[in-house]
Amino acid sequence: MTVVPQKFLRSVLPLVCIAILGIALGGRTPAQHKTPAQSAARQSQVTFNRDIAPILYRACAQCHRPGEAGPFSLLTYADAKSHARQIAAVAKSRFMPPWLPEEGALKFAGELRLSEDEITRIQAWVEQGTVEGNPADLPPKANFVEGWQLGKPDVIVKATKPYALPADGSDNYWNFVFRAPVDRTRWLQAMEIRPGDKRLVHHANVLVDRQQNGRRLEAEPGAGFAGMELTIESEVFDPDSHFLFWKPGSIPYVEPDGMALRLDQDTDLILNTHLQPSGKPETIQPTLGLYFTDKPATKYPILLQLENDRLLDIPAGEKHFVVTDEFTLPVGVDLLAIYPHAHYLGKDLQAIAKFPDGRSETLIQIPDWNLNWQAVYRYAQPVKLPKSTTISMKFVYDNSDDNVRNPNDPPQRVVAGNRAVDEMAHLWLQVLPEDSAQAKRDPRAEILEAMAVHNLQKNSEDFEAHFNLAALLMGRGEVAEAITHFAEANRIRPNEPTVNNAFGAALLAAGRTEESVPYLTAALNARPDYFDARYNLGNALASLGDFRGALAQFQTAVRINPHDANAEANLGSAFAEIGDIKQARLHYQRALQLNPNHELAKENLQQLGREPSPR
Amino acid sequence: MGERLQTLRTLSRVLFAIVVLCLVSSPLTSSSQSFATDLEGKPADPFRAAQGKVVVLIFVRTDCPVSNRYAPTIQQLSAHNTDKAAFFLVYPSKKETSETIRKHDRDFGYALAALHDPQHILVKQSHAQITPEAAVFDANRRLVYHGRIDNLYEDFGHARKTATTHELADAIRAAIAGRTINGNATPAVGCYISDLE
Repeated sequence: MTVVPQKFLRSVLPLVCIAILGIALGGRTPAQHKTPAQSAARQSQVTFNRDIAPILYRACAQCHRPGEAGPFSLLTYADAKSHARQIAAVAKSRFMPPWLPEEGALKFAGELRLSEDEITRIQAWVEQGTVEGNPADLPPKANFVEGWQLGKPDVIVKATKPYALPADGSDNYWNFVFRAPVDRTRWLQAMEIRPGDKRLVHHANVLVDRQQNGRRLEAEPGAGFAGMELTIESEVFDPDSHFLFWKPGSIPYVEPDGMALRLDQDTDLILNTHLQPSGKPETIQPTLGLYFTDKPATKYPILLQLENDRLLDIPAGEKHFVVTDEFTLPVGVDLLAIYPHAHYLGKDLQAIAKFPDGRSETLIQIPDWNLNWQAVYRYAQPVKLPKSTTISMKFVYDNSDDNVRNPNDPPQRVVAGNRAVDEMAHLWLQVLPEDSAQAKRDPRAEILEAMAVHNLQKNSEDFEAHFNLAALLMGRGEVAEAITHFAEANRIRPNEPTVNNAFGAALLAAGRTEESVPYLTAALNARPDYFDARYNLGNALASLGDFRGALAQFQTAVRINPHDANAEANLGSAFAEIGDIKQARLHYQRALQLNPNHELAKENLQQLGREPSPR
Repeated sequence: MGERLQTLRTLSRVLFAIVVLCLVSSPLTSSSQSFATDLEGKPADPFRAAQGKVVVLIFVRTDCPVSNRYAPTIQQLSAHNTDKAAFFLVYPSKKETSETIRKHDRDFGYALAALHDPQHILVKQSHAQITPEAAVFDANRRLVYHGRIDNLYEDFGHARKTATTHELADAIRAAIAGRTINGNATPAVGCYISDLE
């Protein structure tokens, strides 16, 4: 109250002038007292137009331009100058551009790494006072494609409901469920994931959900659901095959001919997003652009997973916790892409191939893992991994205070799990098995069977491995052995409807019909709209002579899925068995409408035609 | 040789500018150029406005992702201390206008007074180097703390899930209680104010 403004001004202003003078002179001192090194630097003055712009255009502007993920643009001298020291700092620490793998003998597509020379040049530019230089030196502007990167997609789908991202808090994981926008089976050659506001989405991953697992987790249709990691079930042999991954700066990957991804009418696409609050409330409503091809798949890659989550039990404070796994390939493959995955405690992630001839090669080495910049890395050239190559992973974790990303303060014991505060030790590989004319069976099945056996060696209580092994054994007719593993899977998780159904189906196939009924019934108690279980139970009851019971099951089955010719044909048969020939004919005809080549429906319909009409 | 001449020219220009600045800034010919301004463009003196409260200046930029992420924290700190401390957001960028600042404040839910400091008067008084960085002045206008808000960021790309030390909140408490704050503040992580010169 007592302070007079004028007095304040007088006392402060001279100080301000001195401060400015001091800074101005301080900044110019090198020009007055040049050392030999500084003279050399002066001779090779670094300018924006000649030396810096090419670096920014190549390595930064893809994201640092309007509408993209970068928080500010780096397209012009003014842009760069207003972040110059920041650019120098993040280039030096290699935080930017974000590229985690260390340079190795194997090259990845689109490596985004600054050379030592480029980093030095940026430092010199800032030290020399961010000189703009001769306009004639400025290279032509990088030509970025605006909008859809591959042109207008064949089909665009938008998430039904936006997700409201709070202003505050730490990382956030949200899943959007898209119904595949296809009315028949189509072949997907590329997908552009538009996550919405790119500044908020750290990365996003599309999972192909052929059995609508994701929908069941939504509070209401289209609402989406929370969660960092998902498990997608599949009952048919249709292993995951493609990485559908987005990170800032990604250009959609166009699959080579013959490697398109099959999309069926009832397939769901789940977009798993990793979001980071910006400081203000935001809404995210992603879009997918789908590009189809007429060329169906002729080559079938698969995604292989090395992991050792069971060994993840990291004591609080442990700085160097190592998890390893190794898998020997039963067939030769081309390695196409690699995707290491850990959460916030991961520090040093490495994968090595040991070849049968004794040589070894580093497949990837990430010395300073950062979950925020995780990515799928595609090799510039496929890497040949002959039969009997051993792939090994070695992940190192830091659960001490030294790891600033440690989600627990103070550090706590951390085990494997799906939440961000849990850990993971996963190495995903996209491999294309070698074509072999002599091969008696699908090489993918051979690899996955070897993988399931390997996983059971690591952990005899591995539910998924028992289940997968059982399914693969069923696939090659080893029903008795399959039943053993289904029984194990069922013992570990007695209430899993998928297992109860598959176990029931295996017992049915083995002729143990009566034993199959309780399992199929349990599957339906847990999930009344489970089409496959309805169908199987209908078959079981029909085999046991309970045609009315079977009829009820098939009737429900065709209500759940009106497009299944087998269910219609069996419903027809059930009607025929109880003497309702009119209804039987109707359903055989429906089966034939759905599939004009349905042999059973054709035969039975003919047979009904020969029989005298009952009424 | 040519370059050397150019350097000298620049130097003389700087000196000249300083002379002009000192002249213009004389108390007799008050000019907004040597003050931070409010969003009406009028000279603003946060210390007068604070009326004897502890003054907290928070340096931010509209295009700095790190300072933006701090918006809820800054707003909460300000709301908590509203009786004893006057908070001001200070935008040191020349490129900002009252319009862009207002929009930014609206978008990020800021309800505290914003100042535009293109001449870096408050920046220098606060020894601020980074956005976001905070300066705390006690009731006697003595700078008692300047540095990071908390330890959410250890470095670019090295962010904690949540901060575990809260330097600014501690400094405000101390300033309100009239206690001195010991130790040197850890530098903030974010965007360099000197890039704006």
